[in-house]
Amino acid sequence: MKELAESSGVKVAFREVDVVTTGTFGAMCSSGAIINLGHSDPPMKIGSAWMNDVPVTHPGAAVDLYIGATLMSETEPFEYGGGHVIEDLIRGEEVELRATAHGTDCYPRTRLETTLTKDDLNQFYLLNFRNCYQRYSCATNSRDEAIYTYMGKLLPRFRNATYSGAGELNPLMNDPDYETIGIGTRIFLGGGQGYVIGEGTQHNPGGRLGTIMVRGDAKRMSPEFIRGASFTNYGTTLYVGIGMPIPILNEGIAEKAAVRDRDIYTEVVDYGVPRRDRPTLRKVSYEELKSGRIAIGDRDVKVSSLSSLRKAREIAGTLKAWIEDASFYLTSPVETLPTETSFRPMRQTREAVFVENLVHGAVTCREDEAIGEVAQRLISRSVNHVIVVDERERLRGIVTSWDITKAVAEGRSRLGDIIVRRVHTAALSEPLDSASRRMAQHSISALPVVDGDGKVLGIVTSEDISRLMGGAGYG
Amino acid sequence: MVRVLLRFSREIVDEPITSQVILEEGIPINILSAHINPQGGEILAEVSSDRAEDAIRAFRGRGVTVDVRELIEKDDERCTDCGACVSLCPVDAIAFRDDSSVDIDEERCLGVTCGLCVDACPTRAIRLIG
Repeated sequence: MKELAESSGVKVAFREVDVVTTGTFGAMCSSGAIINLGHSDPPMKIGSAWMNDVPVTHPGAAVDLYIGATLMSETEPFEYGGGHVIEDLIRGEEVELRATAHGTDCYPRTRLETTLTKDDLNQFYLLNFRNCYQRYSCATNSRDEAIYTYMGKLLPRFRNATYSGAGELNPLMNDPDYETIGIGTRIFLGGGQGYVIGEGTQHNPGGRLGTIMVRGDAKRMSPEFIRGASFTNYGTTLYVGIGMPIPILNEGIAEKAAVRDRDIYTEVVDYGVPRRDRPTLRKVSYEELKSGRIAIGDRDVKVSSLSSLRKAREIAGTLKAWIEDASFYLTSPVETLPTETSFRPMRQTREAVFVENLVHGAVTCREDEAIGEVAQRLISRSVNHVIVVDERERLRGIVTSWDITKAVAEGRSRLGDIIVRRVHTAALSEPLDSASRRMAQHSISALPVVDGDGKVLGIVTSEDISRLMGGAGYG
Repeated sequence: MVRVLLRFSREIVDEPITSQVILEEGIPINILSAHINPQGGEILAEVSSDRAEDAIRAFRGRGVTVDVRELIEKDDERCTDCGACVSLCPVDAIAFRDDSSVDIDEERCLGVTCGLCVDACPTRAIRLIG
């Protein structure tokens, strides 16, 4: 279709093509499965339940559970989670169920342990409330350390970048005005057939960030297209395969379904900045992303996907084959999806605390000073950290009262020998949560606060944070 | 060229064994990557094919464990070809094939001396050997 529209024009493509099949296979965290267990004897109104040690949620009456993809195992957190439970059930494997309840007159049972396969479940439906993002940002990291995010592992100082999404193969990108996709649209879902049941949460069609809510019978799905996944230090999720048929009903739809990767743009975003509005570094097309390298500033950066293009193609191909052999019938939606909604930030009644709210002046010294002078300054200013700066107030290192004590014990006199030169820093606009997390990770008690040029603006210490928490002024 | 993974135990890690093999045996050795601390170390090195046997004997004679085998393994059943590993590889050993599947070139891989890709695999399909 896309090639035909390009070579012969949209009119010809419209005449020749009846349906364009699309596909995507990526990590979709807002996914899960609703299951019904049937009643035990004596019956039980489940209060808390675990499947393979994953605490599943109990949103309904007595024996309905929702296995959220991101819920993590209590024995193997970050490695095994709700997504894996769903995959194991689809594979036909036995899953251990454990449940507790407070007990009622009508549901007296308080404890339960059993094993189940999908055949034992009355219902096992994938019920995903946000899937199939039309496009997504490309992630990179400006920090001096690697970070682990839902966009994968991001190496320090822009050494790599990651993106997600199938670009021109994405279902919603081929029908961006929701002329054919709506409530009731039958789709390929996880290797079986499912339905669009509405717009997804955070649906933002105007920003070309549309999403859908979907449902499908998980008993008929395949582990080829539904996979549990682990993002190190982030958590677990579910890879979901979705394919949609786009009926080419008119030339307008044909033109939109002829979209190419070079026409689809997203933003390269610095995930090193832990804020809601992360800095955008540039715009980039999916064509550039799929090439494997992008320029960020004067750097040539390796970029790769987190979603599988090979699987996306396989899904579109499978859907095409199903339509051709009449095992999949297209449906007309019973309701269209909203095209006007936008995604607003959270209303916060209490502002979070940032480094700039807690930073204070740092006690500094120069590299050529004697240890004795620096020791006196520590005492006279009642601090535990002295920041070493150059003549332009730029960070050169840090010396703590412990370093000085150790130097005295070892008979050293040159400050240069005891300076810690690899220093973790904080920025003024950084959330305090993120700064204190870094201090805990590296077992350090203070972070010099620097600007973009490395100039020291002050210091934030764990004592300041403790005092703030003690005063209940936190968060 | 032959790739060898040299493992140094704690007892011998502070001895200049690699230099000795280069100088005393006259074998040119190209060090690709190294991870060394007082507890022990690993060096991934390349030796020309005709001197590989001499080099392996020389290292083993000095108490070094020498491995000549694959360094990495990808479980193709688990792998979904997502590509999360591709941008992390510092030596371009991981790349997409023309059909968008992920290929690991074992000849280029730095193995246990690198390992950047391993914990980045969402389906835990990559395993370092050894």
